[in-house]
Amino acid sequence: MTSYVERRVKPKLSLDRDAELRLKNNRLGMNIFQASWIMVFFAMIVVNWQLRYSYAQWPPAGVTPFDPLLPSIATLALLLSSVLVRRGRQSLQADEVSGFLACWRLAMALGVAFMAIIIYEFATVSQAALATQYGATMRLMTGFHFVHALAILAVMLWVYRAGLNDMRSGRPYNSWAVEGTAKLWYFVSFAWILFYLVLYWIR
Amino acid sequence: MATIAVPLGAQEQGQAAEAVQRPALSEYLRWSVDHKIIGVQYGVASFLFFLIGGAMAMGIRLELWTPDLDLMVSGAAYNSLFTFHGTIMIFLFIIPMWAAVGNFVVPLQLGAKDMAFPWLNAFAFWLIPPAAVVVLLGYFVSPAEAGWTSYPPLSTLFSGDGQTLWALGAHLLGISSIMGSINFIVTILNMRPPQMTLWRMPLLCWAVLATSIIAVMATPFLAGALTLLLLDRVAGTTFFDAAGGGDVLLWQNIFWFYSHPAVYIMVLPGMGVLSEVLSVHSRKPVFGYRMVGLSSMGIAFVGFTVWAHHMFTSLQPELRIPFMITTMIIAVPTGIKMFSWLGTIWGGKIHFTSAMLFGLGFMSMFVIGGITGVMLAALPFDIHVHDTYFVVSHFHFVLFGGSVFAIYAALYHWFPKVTGRMMNERLGRIHFAFTYFGFLFTFFPMHIVGMLGMPRRVAVYVPEFQPWNQLISFSAFVLGFSTFIVIYNVIKSYYHGPIAGANPWRALTLEWATTSPPPVTNFVDDPIPFEDPYGYGTEAAAAYVEAVEAAFSPGGSAARTER
Repeated sequence: MTSYVERRVKPKLSLDRDAELRLKNNRLGMNIFQASWIMVFFAMIVVNWQLRYSYAQWPPAGVTPFDPLLPSIATLALLLSSVLVRRGRQSLQADEVSGFLACWRLAMALGVAFMAIIIYEFATVSQAALATQYGATMRLMTGFHFVHALAILAVMLWVYRAGLNDMRSGRPYNSWAVEGTAKLWYFVSFAWILFYLVLYWIR
Repeated sequence: MATIAVPLGAQEQGQAAEAVQRPALSEYLRWSVDHKIIGVQYGVASFLFFLIGGAMAMGIRLELWTPDLDLMVSGAAYNSLFTFHGTIMIFLFIIPMWAAVGNFVVPLQLGAKDMAFPWLNAFAFWLIPPAAVVVLLGYFVSPAEAGWTSYPPLSTLFSGDGQTLWALGAHLLGISSIMGSINFIVTILNMRPPQMTLWRMPLLCWAVLATSIIAVMATPFLAGALTLLLLDRVAGTTFFDAAGGGDVLLWQNIFWFYSHPAVYIMVLPGMGVLSEVLSVHSRKPVFGYRMVGLSSMGIAFVGFTVWAHHMFTSLQPELRIPFMITTMIIAVPTGIKMFSWLGTIWGGKIHFTSAMLFGLGFMSMFVIGGITGVMLAALPFDIHVHDTYFVVSHFHFVLFGGSVFAIYAALYHWFPKVTGRMMNERLGRIHFAFTYFGFLFTFFPMHIVGMLGMPRRVAVYVPEFQPWNQLISFSAFVLGFSTFIVIYNVIKSYYHGPIAGANPWRALTLEWATTSPPPVTNFVDDPIPFEDPYGYGTEAAAAYVEAVEAAFSPGGSAARTER
């Protein structure tokens, strides 16, 4: 079985020129995609900032600020999840597929916990907040981020299942699937940090 | 003597020019991951949309023949007509048409076998037909009538369900554009042959690279704006409704943050085409190659700092002057290109081919569009002519002059490579004459009626403007007629044009160092580019061209030629 670590550390030995170019293209393509798509999140932040100036104060008068406690716990869960995703990748590089699977299992569980908290926050926005752009932009941003987190968590699950199957069948693992998915999860984490700061801390 | 390296493979496999079969027409109607097929798919599809958008333009001009509302049943019908005309021309014609040119030519110029992500490339194209259907359906279902700019509250409170479809379709087109652009960037950065450094890369590739950077960074803002518009229209949010705490200027900021750079998405590839065409057809190296390449990047980056000049009349006063300055600054890299092109053709051995004529047409028209752009950048003047026909004239000089003329130049220049046949030059020159004068007399008088005070986007105007409008409409019909000449030329040349050979223009870039049309893998061996893609006038260049001709001529030749 050709391990991920062999192919990564010694690409000349096991990757032909075309495969090497494909991997190089995939990596650059992913970086450009992330640089591009983060702009949508920046656009949402611009929306939030411009709408703030429609009001004399932010949050608007009569609206209670969002409590950052639960979102902070969710953020910690997401960050820990990203760390585990990275540990999983490192395990795979060391040819420890079981370690990779364990890390990703836990990372996905933390991802689900993050999303559960965000759903709760989304659903419990007060009517007073919803009557203003303070609540509307919060729902816009958390909802928009949630869709991304859900989609990428689904991809993580797919990669995890593929990992399980490949471990059983003894087939070489598709290293790019893991690397690409991990980068998408880092992207989700980074985008959330931006939103978290704008929504809960920058007044 | 220089060592001449000709891309081999064709002659090794006994493929002379005639031996490479053109793909069957059915190939173009189905899913294919071949960048050349996809390029033609983009080209034909966007040209069909050009015909639809053009027919709408004829409808607009017919309505404006008289000062009264006579062709349209209402002002709303006229609003829908110009809304869809603008939308189709921008999102479904010009932007995809440059994807056509980029798809066909860029991998060949880089000596690559295909784009970096062939499947993604096909997917990006096949998003366009459904997106177009969604947008065009909107014309028949309570159509959008807020203009291609879709400013709220027109697009939120006063447009029908067609506006929702418009936003959905534009979303899909944006996704297609982002995917295509990622593909171009990766292809250009990763798939050049080792001998082709960035400073030896053809200028079309520089232009496509700059365009793609703009597209990947700016288009997501459009996605954000469209998401908000859709939510306001279908989910009851009030992001653009002041009554609900929203802000109509929010749309304008986000929309123009995309849409002003989008002007360069529509123009920069044309500038790249021009650098190729002018150099090849005047047999001169590009004057100031590096500055032309860097000015593409300059336009791309400065282009992100000028969006609010579209909002001079609604912008906070303290922000007007900074945006006026940045807008004027962008004339600098554009001017570098213009002087570089003049330097390129100056003293050259100019061949007045159809491609060259359209290239020169681009230059003359784009200069007018550029100068009126600087005029509009001047705040006092902009406020005076805001929302008049002066603005309509300006952006048609930029977009038709800067895009359509370049598209035609590209068509005449690369048609032989795509089909293996030459286009009819006589018909090409007639086409140019009708296009040039039709265009000039359609849009130049609009400056005058605009300065006299005729507002844009209205079907009814004061009778004093009628003579001007009749001149404009008549010229527009001439311009419309010119399209049939090129259609006839393309069809006639496709079937009966003279065999082109591999390198009919004796050019030095790599797309000409393979058969016409190229084989499926473009080059069987890894091609080696000439040391300077525009190094015309040297002994080495002449030897290279001869070597290519020898290698790919029928009966084919002394394989590799070395001198």
